[in-house]
Amino acid sequence: MPEWLNILLRTTGLFMLTLLLVRLIGKRQTSRLTFFDLVTGIAIGVIAAAISLNLAVNLTNGLIALVVWTGFPALIYLLSIKYKAVRDIVQGKETVLINHGKVLEDKLLEARFTPEDLLSQLRKKNVFNFADVEFAVLEPTGEVSALLKKDKQPLTPKTAGLNVGQESVPQTVMLDGTIMDEPLTAMGLNRRWLHTELEKAGVAPENVFIGQVDSVGQLYLDLFDDTIQVPKPKAKELAFATLKKCQADCELYALGTKQPEAKKMYGKSSKILSEVIQELEPLLKR
Amino acid sequence: MTISAQVKQTLASLKGVQGTLETFSSSGGDPEAKEILNRNSQKIAIIIKNLEKRLGVLEFEEPQYKGF
Repeated sequence: MPEWLNILLRTTGLFMLTLLLVRLIGKRQTSRLTFFDLVTGIAIGVIAAAISLNLAVNLTNGLIALVVWTGFPALIYLLSIKYKAVRDIVQGKETVLINHGKVLEDKLLEARFTPEDLLSQLRKKNVFNFADVEFAVLEPTGEVSALLKKDKQPLTPKTAGLNVGQESVPQTVMLDGTIMDEPLTAMGLNRRWLHTELEKAGVAPENVFIGQVDSVGQLYLDLFDDTIQVPKPKAKELAFATLKKCQADCELYALGTKQPEAKKMYGKSSKILSEVIQELEPLLKR
Repeated sequence: MTISAQVKQTLASLKGVQGTLETFSSSGGDPEAKEILNRNSQKIAIIIKNLEKRLGVLEFEEPQYKGF
């Protein structure tokens, strides 16, 4: 057998074998690479390359090494799922680098982190001022996760004291000009409804690239023809504005009338309407 | 515009809003939102009734504007 054929056969066989063995180790390697994962990965690669290029002393020895290097990690991963002690050794523990806003120098040293490393990792998390950090931890994968101080955290409706309406996932009802029946029926709508809505927007069904319906049944469209401006659904805003106008009207009538009975009725109506507005604001406006 | 015409306009707007709320509630998925919408559309229905009653009085006082 000529040498090139030998190498071709070996490489093909090894390729298949390595593929199989690596599958055996499992998926988690590439998604979260710890130092241990890196070492095993490199070892497997180097051994496979050495065998395929005939650098190993003999084939059996090489194959044994390869099987051990893939078998042990697979075993250890299985064990580490079961026992926390194994997990801590193999994957390492997270190290707290900043606690209560103070950098812990000894922990930094333990993790072999220079202050520059810490700052650069924090910058990757969009934190440019270390004083903004309340708590930071070095994950086993080498990434730094940071919790910002309460007053530096992004503003959410809750911290701003706002009520917001619940919104479920919008359903995609049209793609590439074809109507998707399943999402439509999931929303409790049908083709006729869709055709009416398209007519309201003045759009031909063939021209629709994407059509989505939000949780209150408003249709949002994107067209193939980008020169056409599609009117954005304004039903929510319009309903809210009309409610406000009606409330103002009632107040105006209450001021205008001279009959005490009517005055009372208008006043009450305006009060009820302002309650309605308050209750609907999260749903219609936010 | 007379008062009766103005009240009529407000009435029409309110009815429109009520309709919109009802369509939202019938197509909305979230039961909580549905409940809020239904409750408020009932409140608006009460106001509509009150305004209609008042409109009846106004039309009785100014019969020349009836029906506009």
